[in-house]
Amino acid sequence: MNVQIDTVLKRARGYWFIDGFTEMAAGGLFVILAGILLFSEYMPRASFAGWFLSVTSEIVIAKLIGILVAILILWWLKDHFTYPRTGFVRGKQVTATQVFVILRNVILFLFLPILALLAACLIIASASNVLASMPAWFPVGLGLIWGGMYLLAGKWMGLRRFRWLAVMMALTGIAIGIWQFTIGLPTFPPNIQSGIFQPIVLQTINRTLMSLGFLILISGVILMLSGLVTFLRYRKENPNPYVEES
Amino acid sequence: MSGSLQDLSGLDRVIHEPARLMLVALLSSVESADFLFLLKESGLTKGNLSVHLSRLEEVGYLRVDKTFQGKIPHTEYSLTAKGKTAFNEYRKKLDPIIRQHSRAAKL
Repeated sequence: MNVQIDTVLKRARGYWFIDGFTEMAAGGLFVILAGILLFSEYMPRASFAGWFLSVTSEIVIAKLIGILVAILILWWLKDHFTYPRTGFVRGKQVTATQVFVILRNVILFLFLPILALLAACLIIASASNVLASMPAWFPVGLGLIWGGMYLLAGKWMGLRRFRWLAVMMALTGIAIGIWQFTIGLPTFPPNIQSGIFQPIVLQTINRTLMSLGFLILISGVILMLSGLVTFLRYRKENPNPYVEES
Repeated sequence: MSGSLQDLSGLDRVIHEPARLMLVALLSSVESADFLFLLKESGLTKGNLSVHLSRLEEVGYLRVDKTFQGKIPHTEYSLTAKGKTAFNEYRKKLDPIIRQHSRAAKL
């Protein structure tokens, strides 16, 4: 009996994802962010610090505007498409503490990897080998972390397709890591000094950002495809808005 | 009768009815939901659903908010504090019974 109750609870929790719109919106946002990261390579750079700051600010602005726009679009789509077909659900009210936790998780999930990359560069003298192989291990680690998060979310909401997404994210990270390893990692000289503004360190950062860009791009495309398939299935099951029988 | 089986008689009968249990479970994980959502998710007929919702409202487990979206009436259902407590208590009582009988079945 309790197993059945859990199933019902999970169905209600996962209702927000029933139509695939959220995945498509998230995927679209990922693709835009990846575009900024990948095209930043071609942006003119007077200094590395200025370039890095400019790319980071663009990503932060795109993320904030993108999230706001995505929420508005999602509300509109759900109001006009989902709720007339399968009903309206108001999610649990979020308290100030929960907002803080969500913001903290967003920062951990999206900003921390870039900050970690920067921090790793600053302690380069003691960890040059770790830094040299960063273009390979960084996407692997991030792909596995994202995969783990999708797995947990899928379990909490009873969404089986999230398991596939988890596997795909992890595999994408591993594949990018292998690709970076295969094309050759930067070779650090044995007497390298601490500091970020050295050609070899900058090359490593660029390669790692490129890995990150490809990981976000492919993950975004996967999310969009998953959302599209979910949407088409949902539309097939619920072709018309519900009409009261007279 | 064993302790756990005696506990069965102490279960909340309003919630213990399968259809109402499903409705309470659905509403427990959201703030509120409308009639259409409950209808689709429960698979009940409209008449049946109305009866069960009325019963839950009658005992004070359910709050009904009627509003208008433009000219269209919109009704939202949510669990009251009493309803949430009753559902949690129900699960707390049911858990040990299920666990004990699962263990017994394995022996």
